[in-house]
Amino acid sequence: MNAIIFSALIGVVMMLGGIVIKNNASIQSLAIILLFILLGSHLAEYYNLFNIHIETHGMLAKNRFGMFFNTIIISLTLLYVLLSGDEIAKAGTYGAEYFALLFFSLCGATILSSYNNLLMLFLGVEIMTIPLFVLTASEKKNLKSNEAGLKYFLMGSFSTGILLMGIALYYGGTGLFAIEAGIGKNANEIQQTLRILLPLGLLFIFISLAFKVSAAPFHFWTPDVYDGAPSVFTSFMATIVKTAGFIAFIRLFELRSVDMSYSWKILLPLIIILTLLAGNITAVFQQSVKRMLAYSSIAHAGFMLFALYNPNDFGKQGILLYTVAYSLATIGTFAVLTKMKDYTYEGYNGLAKSKPVLAATNTIFLLSLAGIPLTAGFFAKYYMLASALKESTRNLWLVIVAVLFAAVSVYYYFRVIQAMYFKEGNAETTEIKPFFKVLLIIIAALIIVIGLMPSLLLDLFYA
Amino acid sequence: MAITEIIFWFLSALAVISAIMVVVSKSPVHSVLWLVTVFFAISGHYILLNAQFIAIVNIIVYAGAIMVLFLFVLMLMNLNKETEPQKNLWMKLTGVISGGCLLIILISLIRQATEIKGKIAITKTGDIGLIKVLGKELFSNYVVPFEISSVLFLSAMIGAVVIGKKD
Repeated sequence: MNAIIFSALIGVVMMLGGIVIKNNASIQSLAIILLFILLGSHLAEYYNLFNIHIETHGMLAKNRFGMFFNTIIISLTLLYVLLSGDEIAKAGTYGAEYFALLFFSLCGATILSSYNNLLMLFLGVEIMTIPLFVLTASEKKNLKSNEAGLKYFLMGSFSTGILLMGIALYYGGTGLFAIEAGIGKNANEIQQTLRILLPLGLLFIFISLAFKVSAAPFHFWTPDVYDGAPSVFTSFMATIVKTAGFIAFIRLFELRSVDMSYSWKILLPLIIILTLLAGNITAVFQQSVKRMLAYSSIAHAGFMLFALYNPNDFGKQGILLYTVAYSLATIGTFAVLTKMKDYTYEGYNGLAKSKPVLAATNTIFLLSLAGIPLTAGFFAKYYMLASALKESTRNLWLVIVAVLFAAVSVYYYFRVIQAMYFKEGNAETTEIKPFFKVLLIIIAALIIVIGLMPSLLLDLFYA
Repeated sequence: MAITEIIFWFLSALAVISAIMVVVSKSPVHSVLWLVTVFFAISGHYILLNAQFIAIVNIIVYAGAIMVLFLFVLMLMNLNKETEPQKNLWMKLTGVISGGCLLIILISLIRQATEIKGKIAITKTGDIGLIKVLGKELFSNYVVPFEISSVLFLSAMIGAVVIGKKD
């Protein structure tokens, strides 16, 4: 509860702070202080020191998995604001409001990790995405940003409509909004013929959530929106928001796995393969690094869907590891990207000569995204694929397909590394502060440490 | 025939005829106005079922806000004969077939639903739709979503201001 209440409160404080504070640097420091308060209050609840208790009537369920996930995303947001806070404030004329919207979006994400009722799922998804529509369109003078914002808004509201339709059908089938397994207390009143509405409702909810996490064939909005939005906000969308979508997915489908009969076991691998295909193959043909990263985030959604397909312990640990590994690397690469003047591959030519620290850390991020051993990305992928094999050895073909696509992904990540190290040119960047470099090195170090000892992170989960 | 029954049949006929007129009428503005009539007829049904709150909300939100929005869009688009898109025969045929499929499913569903056969709606009783009951429910069982939706509205408001304000 602390995370939800405090993240909403710091959003309000940030918004009101914007009236008094006009200076970008002080807005950024205020945001960092507020995020530390949020993290502190959440950790206080995590270790049972201080907790605002509210009777939720079964709307929210306090669970260890969700709490741990909240810790991860709040820390990641803090890291993100430390790294690119100045870019957020510079994105438009309303620096403080952008931070407030980010905090509200974070509030939605924390609801999604602990919801126990479809009403809360709906509210969480909406609170998470509505600020993003605005952030996407925040660069008002840029036509591409405006287009992306409008596109995201229209597609987002359409998928929300499908979500509501699904919730209504779910209610028709079970007689309740709660997500616990089974049928509601007025089950006798629900005729057997109406039970068919339950899988139908779950299918609609599935489609809508697949849209939110940009799984194929519902991914068409992703490249345009990620490309059009200011790079700092793309970074937030591709990491914290996307992984929160997966947590919402897992919470619902773990409890409802009973209803997922044989046909689900056909549908999900199909979607996984489609997502991997659409993401990886299209990413190969991109000329802009930003657009390539957008497609690669679709490809990563394919890997994260493995946790949904195999809701066992391995899959749950895997999604936590994947959240950390993927988000750290993506936040890092996007932070480097925002400093570049030219977003094409040519723009990275010769970066290693002019900015060796940026090039070296960016290489580690890209290696982690590709899933090369000794980086966090390797173990993240390993856990995902292992979860499939643990469930049943008949999933071997799916694992082989996923590994093949991971090999394809190496190609387009290495193109950036090749441009940075082996091509002649002078990559132009904006001004880079020493603090920024130190943070990049810290993130790179974290990726390598988790890559060497993933148990460090997972032990925290069980501690 | 009791007075409620007369009103019920009158409202039902009104709703069905207006709904047909929505589809049939040539001018889109007339369609929208017929749709308003449908909403009023359905609101009448809600009142018969003793659900005043939902009846009022239906009128305020649907017949009021959403229909005004519809009219705005129609007038902004400036629809007339020349700009009307040409629909070919195949398009019409597909429309008829897919609409017909839905109709068949709905009719067969209603025919099979034995549990509602021969039953009529219970009017003038029940207190589920009363504002008092609704308010109590909203502030006890559903108080958390009620409060949290304020965050949603606040973020939407900030967003609207950020988007709409002149730089």
